[in-house]
Amino acid sequence: MTGPSIRRRSVTTGLLAAALPLPAIAQGTGAGKRGGDVIVAQQAQPPTLDAQTTTAQASRNITLHIYESLYTRDEGANPKAELAEGVDIAADGLTYRFTLRGGVKFHNGKTLTSADVKASMQRYAKIGGSGDVLKPVAAYETPDAKTFVMKLASVFPGMIDAISSPRAPFVIMPEEECGKPLGQPAIIGTGPFSFVEYKPDSHAKLVRFDGYAPNTAYTKRDGFTGRKTAYFDSVTFRFMPEGGARTAGLQTGEIHVLESLDVAAAKRLESDKNIVAHAMMPWAFMTLMMNTNWGLTANVDFRRAVQSALDLEEIMGLATDGLYRMDPAWQYPGTGYYPGIDGLDAYTRQDQARAKTYLQTAGYKGEEMVIVADNSFKPHLDAGTIASQQLRAAGINVKLNVMDWPTVMSTRSKPEGWNLWPLMMGIEPYEGPYNVVGFFGGKQTVQIKQDPVIEQCIADLASKLKLEDRVAAVKAFQARLYDQAIAVKVGDVGIIQATRASVVNYAPYRIPRMWDCWFA
Amino acid sequence: MLRLAGVRLLVAVPVLLVVSLVSFGLTLLVPGDMAASLAGSTASASEVAHIRTELGLDRPPLERMAAWYGGLLRGDLGRSVLLNEGVGQAIVERLPVTLSLAGLGLGFACLIGVPTGLLAAAKVRRWPDQAAMGASLVGLSLPDFWLGLLLVWIVGVKLHWLPTGGFVPLTQDPLGWARCMILPAGALAATQVGPIARMTRSAALEVVASDFIRTARAKGLAEPRVFARHVLAAALVPVLTVAGIGFGVTLSGALVIEQVFSLPGVGRLVIGAVLARDWPVIQGGLLLTAFVFVAVNLLVDVLYLWADPRLREQS
Repeated sequence: MTGPSIRRRSVTTGLLAAALPLPAIAQGTGAGKRGGDVIVAQQAQPPTLDAQTTTAQASRNITLHIYESLYTRDEGANPKAELAEGVDIAADGLTYRFTLRGGVKFHNGKTLTSADVKASMQRYAKIGGSGDVLKPVAAYETPDAKTFVMKLASVFPGMIDAISSPRAPFVIMPEEECGKPLGQPAIIGTGPFSFVEYKPDSHAKLVRFDGYAPNTAYTKRDGFTGRKTAYFDSVTFRFMPEGGARTAGLQTGEIHVLESLDVAAAKRLESDKNIVAHAMMPWAFMTLMMNTNWGLTANVDFRRAVQSALDLEEIMGLATDGLYRMDPAWQYPGTGYYPGIDGLDAYTRQDQARAKTYLQTAGYKGEEMVIVADNSFKPHLDAGTIASQQLRAAGINVKLNVMDWPTVMSTRSKPEGWNLWPLMMGIEPYEGPYNVVGFFGGKQTVQIKQDPVIEQCIADLASKLKLEDRVAAVKAFQARLYDQAIAVKVGDVGIIQATRASVVNYAPYRIPRMWDCWFA
Repeated sequence: MLRLAGVRLLVAVPVLLVVSLVSFGLTLLVPGDMAASLAGSTASASEVAHIRTELGLDRPPLERMAAWYGGLLRGDLGRSVLLNEGVGQAIVERLPVTLSLAGLGLGFACLIGVPTGLLAAAKVRRWPDQAAMGASLVGLSLPDFWLGLLLVWIVGVKLHWLPTGGFVPLTQDPLGWARCMILPAGALAATQVGPIARMTRSAALEVVASDFIRTARAKGLAEPRVFARHVLAAALVPVLTVAGIGFGVTLSGALVIEQVFSLPGVGRLVIGAVLARDWPVIQGGLLLTAFVFVAVNLLVDVLYLWADPRLREQS
């Protein structure tokens, strides 16, 4: 693949060395056909289209057609340039000099300059969803219209990983929009589609931006970057909460692309020649987080009993309708930070006798264990329900509290009142180690009580310039999670996206990408 | 009649005040806030806290309450950050969808239920009566969301007669609007046909033995005309009562049906707001719902006066 690269004058080459094992993708099948309004259905409506401020998938699906970043991720989740031609990182790791691509226009006709980049980054640092990663930045400089410089007060080798993440994307907006508060800026980006309207509870509409400047450093679509070409005249994202209605819409042709199709429906539609199912593996981690601060799970032996009592494959099989793979690692295989799985078998194998021994050691006397699970995401509820049954079978008195998502979020952030919480981590493992490890650290860590070993892993990840040292930090983090039974990695979950057969050259990815595909 | 309307509207003021207090109380009692929704499903606690501060959601309850009531006195229901628009505007934009859905549903229910009830009364204890009452009981027993999904499957997917969901504004395309509304309104109507038919039958049976009906028959009027002109008119008051209650039921049913058919109405707005803890929208939605119920009750009272000359004289 051609394309700009990160030039590091010393230290190491590349930040993520290898690609994720994503499915083979048909590309470059010849010139596409322009025209048509493609209708994409998604379950949730975006909480906001202010891309910098939210990690919501429903927002990302739309905003990453409108906005672009300096760096983003390629098909294998590696950081790759998008609005930047490249970056020159100083040998001391404290200065990042980005050269911007020329001729890039915003949807309002204005040419992109370093002033827009500076204002966007400053806004992100203030209200962005992952604003903390810009804390090491001491100054933003714009020596000329094509050059943007970030000067760091302390080294942060994960900077390019961080600012290229699509989680709460570091999108570049026109300078004049950056002073506006959360949710207020006009939706103007540099992407292949421009914003037309957003009707909450109904739809969002985008049209092809004919002034779009494709990135000529690439030859084809590549993850969120590459040489993007918009063929559809417009894209309509419809928000359809009812799964049956979404599937019915796809069957009748009222919908052309489904963000996700449940496994049972995909099996049912296998014989329908008008529908193509695109499976992606992996999509997310399925995890069970434990509160190490309160009640039974404050005791490490009790947590180990929970770890031993669970049949992880049974949970995955039922919670995902069979679309899963067993994988105990806290990074995906094939990625640069993959810590390996040596020695994990003992932790991941169900062993009821060992669970009973740990319960005795913990002095367990039938006290109530509280599992909180939300009913907004079916796999969470299923995983919580099955885990409850397995733990009851091991002699643990489990209370399963099923709530809606905001209540669960509120409950699990409290230091007391819950012991175990099922959660799918979608975008974080895709990004790499920073937000996976970071989820277990800091003052508001997911397990409530900070762990000194994990804090050290986070510090090492943030400061060690050599890749092997950072991989060692991820290994240490994973070993600590298993040894202390802070959280259970149940397995990897897949996803099925679906299209009408009339949509040509579609390739599944982290969002339903509507560039480089077209109607037959 | 005007006096009655005035009294009812005055009574509505304390009702709306209580509703507003309860809805504000809910904001304090129910866990979770908008910041978590805005941040996304895997945002860390610190990221959520950051947004909470940015939006001022961590202000003291009394301060928020004073600000909200202050706005209410100025006719301002507040602003939704999630929708990026005023709550009043958001509700007004969606109200036509919900009212037309509920109205159409009730209309279908009356169009089917009243003649069915009259037929059952005319053929009492014979097979048409038993068939009509049995069918209405089946309709009453079917959950509207399930019936909605069934209609989507049969009429939309299998027969391709009507769209499976979505909405076209009436002003943009009347035929498209009708095609979008038939299935959801039909699903809503099914649950209301039963009560209306049964009440019509019961009221008609009370009237049918009256002297004036016997006189109408003695004049030689055909039986259908006796029922359509005299029995129905006299039986209308209890039917109006059931229809008034039915409107409330269809309004609440519309909340679910809007989800099933992806209709951008107030129900979907409020459900989305509840799930996202968008409190200004929830409070505005509750106030509006209470007001609509008051207005419908008032309308039913006025219709009583229109339907029953004895009540007109008393008032």
